[in-house]
Amino acid sequence: MNAKEYFSQFADPAEFERIVEKPSVTAMWRDCVAEFADRDAIVWKGTHHTFAQLDSDVAGFRTLLRRTAPDAKRVGILSANSYDFVKAYLAVVTSGRTAVILPPHLDAKSVFGCSMMFSVDAIVYQPALRENVSLCQTPLLDITQTCDEMLAMTDRDASDPCVMMFTGGTTGKSKCALLSHGAVMQGTVNGCYGVNPVFCQRYLLVLPLSHVFGLIRNLMTALYTGSALWICENNKNMFRDIAVFKPTVLVLVPALAEMALSLSKQFHKNMVGEDLCYIICGAAAVAPYLVEEYDKIGVRLLPGYGLTESANLVSGNPEALRYPDSVGFPYPHQELKIVDGELWIRGNNMMDGYIGGDENGFDADGWFHTGDLARIDERGLLWITGRTKEVIVLPNGENVSPAELEARFNALPFIQDSQVFEDVAENGRHFLALEVVPRQTVLSKMEQENPEEFILSELEKVNASLPAFQRVTRIVVRDSDFARSPSMKIVRYKKC
Amino acid sequence: MLMTRQEIFDKLKKLLVAADSGNLAITENCTEQSRLREDFGMNSVNILYMVIAIEEAFGIVFDDVGVNAFATVGEAIDYIERKLR
Repeated sequence: MNAKEYFSQFADPAEFERIVEKPSVTAMWRDCVAEFADRDAIVWKGTHHTFAQLDSDVAGFRTLLRRTAPDAKRVGILSANSYDFVKAYLAVVTSGRTAVILPPHLDAKSVFGCSMMFSVDAIVYQPALRENVSLCQTPLLDITQTCDEMLAMTDRDASDPCVMMFTGGTTGKSKCALLSHGAVMQGTVNGCYGVNPVFCQRYLLVLPLSHVFGLIRNLMTALYTGSALWICENNKNMFRDIAVFKPTVLVLVPALAEMALSLSKQFHKNMVGEDLCYIICGAAAVAPYLVEEYDKIGVRLLPGYGLTESANLVSGNPEALRYPDSVGFPYPHQELKIVDGELWIRGNNMMDGYIGGDENGFDADGWFHTGDLARIDERGLLWITGRTKEVIVLPNGENVSPAELEARFNALPFIQDSQVFEDVAENGRHFLALEVVPRQTVLSKMEQENPEEFILSELEKVNASLPAFQRVTRIVVRDSDFARSPSMKIVRYKKC
Repeated sequence: MLMTRQEIFDKLKKLLVAADSGNLAITENCTEQSRLREDFGMNSVNILYMVIAIEEAFGIVFDDVGVNAFATVGEAIDYIERKLR
């Protein structure tokens, strides 16, 4: 079964026919404005901006870009999430330029370093971050500026550069990936598969637009589908925003999905709103518990898998209730293969390469080595079982994937998160250790006299079921969460 | 009737424990001087949880504060006290 046949099973036929691939963001935007002109595109600080209004603002900002830096090829965008971010991003990529998305937490030295390393010709900045561009010698443009004079789009082809984004760098140094218009559009269209209905939905944005999951799955797919996107000004207000806007789709990392569920239980109210149909969940491993618990309140939580280098979306799982620990079926126009356990990909959604370094990221045959350990079953469903860089090589030569073991321990409903790592004893002996964070909302209902003892005994049962070389020899029940990265992923221990 | 500072502290402590998976450091050693990040090891998700839970539990709406606005438990109580008045 090919990808489109697979995903068509989960869609209304008329809706599915409307999912059409576009060669470039310029082609997409032209079609969106024509088809959805009077519909809301963005809701920001209570103001509704239609597609037509956004298009006018984008055209005006293209004029400002031409006046400020007429020859600029690469334009940095340094801004927190806002309507102006969307306006500036669309203006840059529809004016024949490449947007370099600079994470807003970068300090002045880092912004300067990035602008040099990635040959940024001009920077669009949020006024609150003015200090952070103070070292840059390139032309600067205040992102809040507007202009009544409109400049037409510069059409682009699929192979033209569109956007440069930083990879998470969870296990190594952060890199900058160049995505073409074709790659961005493939990622955007992939976001339409597996949800039904697809078009004219209500999305809420809490993820940073400087992250590919926020930019492509949340913003671009919302625009492509004529949906309205409410941009949260401050994430602490996300549930008040939800109560007002009543989103039908949320795009969340697992930590936020867990938080929403936990708050719902604590305050005995549905914090995600009665109209919510889907939570698109990714950027870190999704616990099956979340799929099951959200199903109880009528919300389908769909795990997926993606990378910055693949314009975010590689696979999605519309069958999450049956296979909650799978990341789903690969989207169209990709080739996937597994070599020595590692997932390799090539396809329309892949980046052109890394910028500013020695390597472009691909092997001689055009395969991108993801660094993720995976398996594909006979139905074509994909499972991620760990990271090659995280594989622990034991003194006896056996390889252990921490993520694979953690998935076993995390399957216990009262375990929220876990981390398996290699530690070293005072006598120099290396051993596997496990630390877990209990899920208090579940644990408290179990009324165990000694919760820690209970957890340890249940973990030991799982441990005993593992092959001998994979068993951990020390288990610690943590009384606080693990340290997390800015994208809310667990920061891994490096003890050896 | 306005809550006393001790009542606010007790209620806040329960929210902090919920925000960070039953953190024993909070259960056993929480004082007004306790630092949320350094002493309790709370991360950005825990602190976001705490801010949202405070609004729900105390029925107040924070001004446009960031999730890093409070360094200590006492600072959070000061803020809640002001809002309750």
